Amino acid sequence: MLLAERIIDGAPFDEISFDLCSRRPDVIMMSADLSKYTQLNRVKKELPDQHLDVGMAEQNLISVAAGVAKAGYVPVATTFACYATRRAYDQMMICMGTGPKTSIVIGFTPGIANPARIHHQAAEDLGMIRAIPNTTVIDPMDVTEFKQALDVAVDLPGLVYLRGHRGDTPRLLDPERYTFELGKTCTLREGANVGVVATGHATQWALEASEILQKDGFDHSLLHVPTIKPVNESEIVEFCFAHDQIVTVENHNIVTGLGSLVTEVVANVGRGPRITRLGIPDVWAPGGTLAHIRKELALDADALASKIRGVCQ
Amino acid sequence: MTGEQSKRVRALELIAAKIRRNVLDICMQRGGYAGQGVALADIAACLYFDEMRSDDKGWFHDRFVLSNGHDAIMTYGALAEHGSYSLEELRSYNEDGTKIDQSPIEGQLGFEITAGSLGQGPSQAAGIAWGERHQGSDKRVYCLFSDGELQEGNVWEAAMFAGHQKLSNMVYIIDNNDMQATGSTTDVLGVEPVPEKFEAFGCAARRVNGNDIPEILDAFAEAKHIKDKPYVMVCDTRLFAGIDCLQEALPTAHYVAAHSADWQAGLSEINTTLAALAD
Ligand SMILES: Cc1ncc(C[n+]2csc(CCOP(=O)(O)OP(=O)(O)O)c2C)c(N)n1
Ligand SMILES: [Mg+2]
Repeated sequence: MLLAERIIDGAPFDEISFDLCSRRPDVIMMSADLSKYTQLNRVKKELPDQHLDVGMAEQNLISVAAGVAKAGYVPVATTFACYATRRAYDQMMICMGTGPKTSIVIGFTPGIANPARIHHQAAEDLGMIRAIPNTTVIDPMDVTEFKQALDVAVDLPGLVYLRGHRGDTPRLLDPERYTFELGKTCTLREGANVGVVATGHATQWALEASEILQKDGFDHSLLHVPTIKPVNESEIVEFCFAHDQIVTVENHNIVTGLGSLVTEVVANVGRGPRITRLGIPDVWAPGGTLAHIRKELALDADALASKIRGVCQ
Repeated sequence: MTGEQSKRVRALELIAAKIRRNVLDICMQRGGYAGQGVALADIAACLYFDEMRSDDKGWFHDRFVLSNGHDAIMTYGALAEHGSYSLEELRSYNEDGTKIDQSPIEGQLGFEITAGSLGQGPSQAAGIAWGERHQGSDKRVYCLFSDGELQEGNVWEAAMFAGHQKLSNMVYIIDNNDMQATGSTTDVLGVEPVPEKFEAFGCAARRVNGNDIPEILDAFAEAKHIKDKPYVMVCDTRLFAGIDCLQEALPTAHYVAAHSADWQAGLSEINTTLAALAD
C-alpha cells in the first residue's frame, strides 16, 4: 500500500478542504486567523460561504463551531494543535464533547512538527483528547490518510480530533491501495522479534528506521495505529503478544500518548512483552527544523534504528 | 397601555407567579438555585409564553440557549407551566440519580448546550444564530447568561464575533443581579457599565428592569427592529425578586439549602399573589 516514490504535496489541506466542501455543502471550514498557515486558501477564496473566521480567539473558534454544529452544519475547526487543545480544552470537552453533533477539530503542526519550541509544540494533545469520553482521535501518517480520515470524520457523531499535515512531509500511502477505516490498524512490515508500533507522523520515522533495520537484516515488524480512540484493543494485543519486545514511536510526549495507550492495552491482558516508549521523552523539545529536533531527541532514523535494535541486548 | 396590552401583561404576570411557585416547590425538596429562579420568572414568562414562537409539534420555533447552567431552575419552572415537564418529575431536582440536573447536559428537553462550565453559551448561541441565518431560516436565538459570566473572556470573544457578523437574529439576555458565587459582583470584580461595553463591541444594548414585564416586552419588540446588530438586554434583577419575604431573608443566597429558607412563608406569599392575579 506504500507508494514506490515519495511525493511531497505543497499544500495538501488546500485541496482536501476544497474537495470536501465541494462535495459537502453542509461542511463549514473554520479558522482563527491561521487560514494561510493551515493552508485553507481555496475554500476561503472560491467557496467563501463555507468558510468562517472568528479571529485569533480559539475558545471562540471551538464554541462558535459547536453552535454551528447545533444549527445543522458540520464545522471543521482548524488551528494549530497547541491552541485547539491547550487554550480551548474546556470548550472542546464541554461544547463539542458532550453532545451528538459532529464537530471536527484539526490540530495542525502537532508535536515537534513546529519549529517554535514549547508554546507551539503540542506534545500532549492526543492524551488530552483521548481522555474525553466518546471522542474520536485520529493521528494520520500522511496526506493520503489525512484526507481519507477527514472523509470518515464528517459522518461520525460528537467530537472528532484529527492531527493535520501541512505537506512538508511526503505522501507515503497509495490512495488506490489504502483505505482508512476507523479503528483499523495497518501492518506495514511483517516479521518477528521486535514489534514496532507507531502513529501519525512518527510512522514515517518508524518506516525510515525500519528500512535501515531491514538492510541490516534485523527481524522486526511495524504496525501503524492511526486511530487512537476508539482503540482497536484486539489488533494491538494480537500484534504485541506475537513479539518478545515492543517499541512504540510517536510524535508526542511518551506520557499519555500512543506508548501509554499500548501499555494500557497490553497490561489489561497481563504478562505481556516489555514495552519501550519512544517519542518526546517528557521534556521540553527544542525548536528549529524538524531534522534538528529529531536529532536532538534521538528520533532521527539512525538513532531510532539503533534504539529498536538495542532493546534486544 | 391599551386594554389588550394590559390583558397580555396581566396574563404574563400570572404565569410569572406560577413559575415562582414552581421554583419554590422544586427547590424546597432538597435545595437549589431558588433566588435566581424566582427573580428570572418575569423574563421566563415573557420569553416562553410571549416572545418565542411555537412550532407545530408543541415545542418552540425559536431557539433558547441557556448559558448560566444553574439558571436551569428558571426553565424548569417555566416548562412545568408549559406542560413539557411534570412538577412531579421536577421535584427530583438535586436527588441522587435524577435526570433533572441542576446544570443540565446538552440534549435534555429545553437545553441546547451543556452549560455548567460558565461563559460558553454566548459563543454557542452566536454559532447557532450564524448557522440559522446561513441557511435562510427565520429562527431567532435567545441566550441567557449572568453578570458573573461577564468576567469570562469567552463571552467577550462571542460579543466581538456577534457584532462583527451582525447577528441581528440573536438576543442576549443578561441576568445582571450584582451577585456571583462569593459575593456581590461589584465587590468581586465590577462589570459595569454593561450596556456600553456591548455597544462598544458592535451590539445594540439596553438596560431593562428584569422584573417589569411591560419593559421586557418592549425590549423584545425593539430587538426585532434593530438591523445589523445583535441585541443585548441587560436585565437588572435581584435574587428572589417577586417574593418579598424571601428576598428580605436571603438577599445574597447564590444557592439555598433545603433547610435554610422559610419555604412555607414564601409559598404563602406567592399563593396570595396568585390569588390576587387570578381574580
Ligand atoms: C468556568 C466556571 N468557573 C467557575 C464556576 C463556579 N461557579 C459557579 S456559579 C459561579 C458564579 C457565577 O456568577 P453568576 O452566574 O452571576 O451567579 P448568580 O447570579 O446566579 O448567583 C461560579 C464562580 C463555574 N461553574 N464555571
Ligand atoms: Mg449573577
